[in-house]
Formats: sequence, C-alpha cells, structure tokens
Amino acid sequence: MTQPALQVKDLKTQFFTDDGVVQAVDGVSFDLHPGETLGIVGESGCGKSVTALSILRLVQEPGRIVNGQILFKGDDIVTMSDEEVREIRGKDIAMIFQDPLSSLNPVLTVGFQIEEAIEAHGKVPGKMALSRAVALLKQVRIPAAESRVHDYPHQFSGGMRQRAMIAMGLANSPSILIADEPTTALDVTVQAQILELLRDLNRDLKTAIILITHNMGVVASLCTRVLVMYAGRIVEQGPVEQIFKDPQHPYTWSLLQSIPRLDSDRHDRLLSIEGFPPDLIRPPRGCRFHPRCQFKIDRCLHDDPPLLNVGPDQDAACWVTMRRALASNGERRG
Amino acid sequence: MADRTPLLRAEQVVKHFPAGLGASVKAVEKVSLEIYPGETVGLVGESGCGKSTLGRLITQLLPVTSGNIFFDGVDLTKLRGEKLRQYRRQLQMIFQDPYSSLDPRMTVGDIIAEPLENFGLLRGRAKDQRVQELLKIVGLNPYFNNRYPHEFSGGQRQRIGIARALALRPKLIVADEPISALDVSIQAQIINLMEDLQKEFQLTYLFIAHDLSVVRHISDRVMVMYLGKIVEVADSVEIYRNPRHPYTKALLSSIPIPDPEVQSKRRIVALAGEIPSPVNPPSGCRFHTRCPIAQLPTPCADQEPPLEDKARDHRAACFFSEKVPVAV
Repeated sequence: MTQPALQVKDLKTQFFTDDGVVQAVDGVSFDLHPGETLGIVGESGCGKSVTALSILRLVQEPGRIVNGQILFKGDDIVTMSDEEVREIRGKDIAMIFQDPLSSLNPVLTVGFQIEEAIEAHGKVPGKMALSRAVALLKQVRIPAAESRVHDYPHQFSGGMRQRAMIAMGLANSPSILIADEPTTALDVTVQAQILELLRDLNRDLKTAIILITHNMGVVASLCTRVLVMYAGRIVEQGPVEQIFKDPQHPYTWSLLQSIPRLDSDRHDRLLSIEGFPPDLIRPPRGCRFHPRCQFKIDRCLHDDPPLLNVGPDQDAACWVTMRRALASNGERRG
Repeated sequence: MADRTPLLRAEQVVKHFPAGLGASVKAVEKVSLEIYPGETVGLVGESGCGKSTLGRLITQLLPVTSGNIFFDGVDLTKLRGEKLRQYRRQLQMIFQDPYSSLDPRMTVGDIIAEPLENFGLLRGRAKDQRVQELLKIVGLNPYFNNRYPHEFSGGQRQRIGIARALALRPKLIVADEPISALDVSIQAQIINLMEDLQKEFQLTYLFIAHDLSVVRHISDRVMVMYLGKIVEVADSVEIYRNPRHPYTKALLSSIPIPDPEVQSKRRIVALAGEIPSPVNPPSGCRFHTRCPIAQLPTPCADQEPPLEDKARDHRAACFFSEKVPVAV
C-alpha cells in the first residue's frame, strides 16, 4: 500500500452557537490514497461539507476544529500557521464548490481569476499566465478558449462556470481536488458532462478527488471508494462496489432502498426512513441512527458502536449489521 | 386509465413573458395534453424548459397568452372572477420549497384553514376538526395546529403544504418539484404519502420534476419537455425501454444509476452544450442544435416535427424517431 496522500485522524469540528455546541464532525478518520476518487455521501447536516472545509481550514466562526490531525505530506494542517495553510490551499489541495456563480467574482474576467490563482503561488510572467489560463480552459473543454478567457462569469452558462472553477482548481496542478456538490446546481445532462470531465482529469492527471455529494448515483458513477456519513460520523466505508452491493449499515442499506432507480420497472413502495436526522447539539445516546433504525437492539440505545470490519476493506459502525438483520428477518429484502 | 374522458385537456397553450425591448421569453409554445381521472402524469425536463410555467397555467395561477385549458369540459381560460374561483377549488398546487411557501407568521392550523375560510366552507369547531383531520391524514400530530412553520423540518413542512392542498378536496393536484428540496431519506416518505393519498381520495396528479427516476416511479405516463415544447409522451415503462426522442434518450442516459456495476456498463449519450435561450429558440426542431442524430439543415433545422403517434399510446416529436438507439 502506498503512502496516503492525506490522512484525517479523529477529526472533530464544532460550532459554538448561542443554542449550544453543534458537534458537526465528531471523530472522523480516513485515508485518501494518491490518485484515488473518494466519495463522501450523506444528507444535509451530516458533516460531509464541514469535513471538507476542515481539511483546508476553511471553517468559519463560530466553527472550530477542536480535535484531531489532518496529515498532508507528514505535516499536520490543523496545527499549521495560517501562512503555511495558504501555501497548501489552491496549490496542493484545491477545492471547488456547488455554486460556481457565487464562487466567481462577477466584475473580473474568467481569465483574470484563473491567472490570479496561478500567480498566488509564485511569480509568473503575464503572458505565460494567460497562455496557461487558456490551456486550462481547453483542458476543461471550454470551446473557443482563446476568446472566452476574456469573458466575464455572467457570459458563461452554469456548466461552463463549473468548468471554469475546475480550471481554476487545477491551476497549480494540485495532487488533491475536493469537489463539494459540484453538480448539484446543474441539470442532469450537464452533470453528466462534468462527471465525465472529472473522471478524465483523474485518469490523465492522477489528481486524487474527494467528491462530496448527497447523490448515490453520482458516487456510483465516479468514485472507487465511499464514506457514508450520518450525524457527524462515518457510519460505513469501503469500496464502492461492495458498499452498493452489500451495505452493512442499516442507514446505507435504507438509503439505497429509498431511492427510486431509473432502471427498475417494478413499482414497489419505496422504503422510507422514518423520522429525521438528529439535532447535533444534543445527539442521541448510543448509536446516533438508533431512533430511526428498524433493526436496532437494546445495545444500540446506550452503547455507541465503533467502525468495525465487516468485509474486505469494508467497515460499518453497527452492532447488528445488515447480514444479521436480514438473516433474522427472513427474505424481507424480496 | 379506464375512463377515457380527460379530467383536464390543454389545447395549443402558449405562454410568452415580456423580456424587454420587444423580445419575449417563449416559455410554453403550443402545448397540448390530456390528463385522465385518477392517473399520475409526470412532467419532466431541465431548468428553463417551461414545465413549472405549464403547471401554473394549468392551475390558472398564470393566465395563458393563447390556447385553451378545459377542466371537466369547461374552458378555464374563458372564466373570470367568482366562476373561476369556484373551479380553482378543484385544482390545487404543491410547491417545491416548503420554506418559502408557508407564511412564517401564521400557525400551521391557520395555514391549513385558510383555503377553507377563503371559500367560507367551515367555521368554528367544524373547521378546527377538519384541520386536525388533515394533519392526521398527512401523518402529523393533530395537536401541532398551534405551532409555527419554523418549528418543523423540511419534510414536515411539505406535509403541511400537502394538507393545505387537500383542504378543499381537489380533483387535480399539480405538484411542482415537491421533493427536490428534501433530503434523500425524506423524499421517499413524501412520495409514499402522495401515493397513499391518491388511493384514498381518488386524486389525479400532475407531478413536475427534473428527476426522471422519481418521475418514472410515481407516474403512469411521462411527458418530456424541452424548451417550451412537449417532445415525447408515453407510459413510464415504455419511455424508459423504448424512448423515441433523442432528447429523452440523452436525459435517461445522463441520470446516474446508484449501482456501480450497472453504471460502469452504461453508454452515456453526452449532449453537447446546454439548453438554448427561450427568448430566441432554434428554428425547426428546437433540439436540433444539440441533437446527435439531427439531419441539417433539412428537415431538422427548417421544419418543426409534430408530436405524433409512434406506437400505441406513445407520441414523439422527431423526424427520425426510429433512429433513436434503444436500451440504456
């Protein structure tokens, strides 16, 4: 096994609000390998975006990383000075966001903003920066890049803006690209284009990608490994094929059963997960999913399950696991 | 669909919005459709295709520019004032955003009772009882009537919106992206609720959404819209197995299936570019600028393909529908 490109160890990020302390990320650990495509999937408020922001130390007040390590090339990002983090941010680890319109400056040309990203990490003669910007726009398949480089963001369509954001993210050939819901604001046909672009960039440039999304389909089409988050914790992790074929955590299992599949002609009633995600100021005792879990046992109510190995490379934080739950429930999966 | 008399029929409906300098956004262009009693029709398309505008035209929340909308045989576009108001009772709408569609200063009870009051239907205890009954019907605690919208989660708010829509015992409910603002685990709750209510109250649904997998799941028939036009109509099994319009085909292949094994074997029909501006839509077939099988310039760029029968209960607007590749 190669040295991980990034190691997150027992990360805890909390928000100190007037109502109390929100335990947004509560003890998250994972490794990202070089060139890997890792999906972090979960619903709103599960901590997936805060995990991503923590990696680049972009968590805003009243949020704070209160525990853990984020190791990049042996150095801990959590304890670095602001200056050291700025060195890494955008150079070694870049991030793109859901809404490209609000992430781009409307009064500067797209080219200028890409050049800015290049020059943030070293002096480059003006002409070279421009030609690099054009090359980057070509790489993300913006047609007529030589002329479009002088356009303003509003002259770009939604999909092109996201391409421009990706170009900006690639400006300094980062080894890690964090994409936070990069296709959520886009139409499906444009989403397909952006996913294809990310897939090609990962293959050609060997850039490792952390893809944050709520969409299981997007994970299935881009990622090789996935972390499933619920209420600030990783509840299951493993290779994508394994997790989708044989999920062991009831949350992962239920989530997959609750989405209508395009390729299913059977009009079965969808499985619905009752209730809603917990308040992270006062998370439930024991397993955080237990109030919504149809397979819970007494132990789940007070004893918090750690991530346990449940299959090849697959871990789940569950005392029951689907293997046992389904065996005791007969053929309830049908 | 035993009953072949449509509950609602739209004929050549047009909606243009002024866009300044004499230009106009051609949001809906000569759309005709039927919705039969008790069925669920899905209306699907990407942003800007006109699906929400069409929903608002059908519920008479927007006036048509031209065309007719018949409900139970009566042309709603000819009705005014009190007469139209009486028909509106039977046409209710559920909105996408459960946050902005509920008045934050009203209690949930008042929100649900408002339609009853508007029509002077129930008063006092009878009204309160009806409100509590509606809360129970949508799966909420009937004693929540004194609470305010902010005390509820997104999914619960959508239930409140549904209770309000049911208050007047409508025949047709137009649901405009009713689940797209909700979390994945909550979406199934609302879909199941809508299906249960349909059975219980013999409702007819027009279900508008951009997500074809959800639309296929809930609908008997699916209509696909592109740039103000309906390009294909078929039952929900047929439209997936045998799409007859290249846009439908591309839309189907773009939707990622949550199964890495299946997904890796699929061939994505990548569409070039994005949806053109409805201010100045392309000539001929509006899809010809992005179509992988268009024959240019003739006929696709200079003639408009009619929406016509390609098979039994299957209409598509394409000159070359037999060339659309099958299987996703």
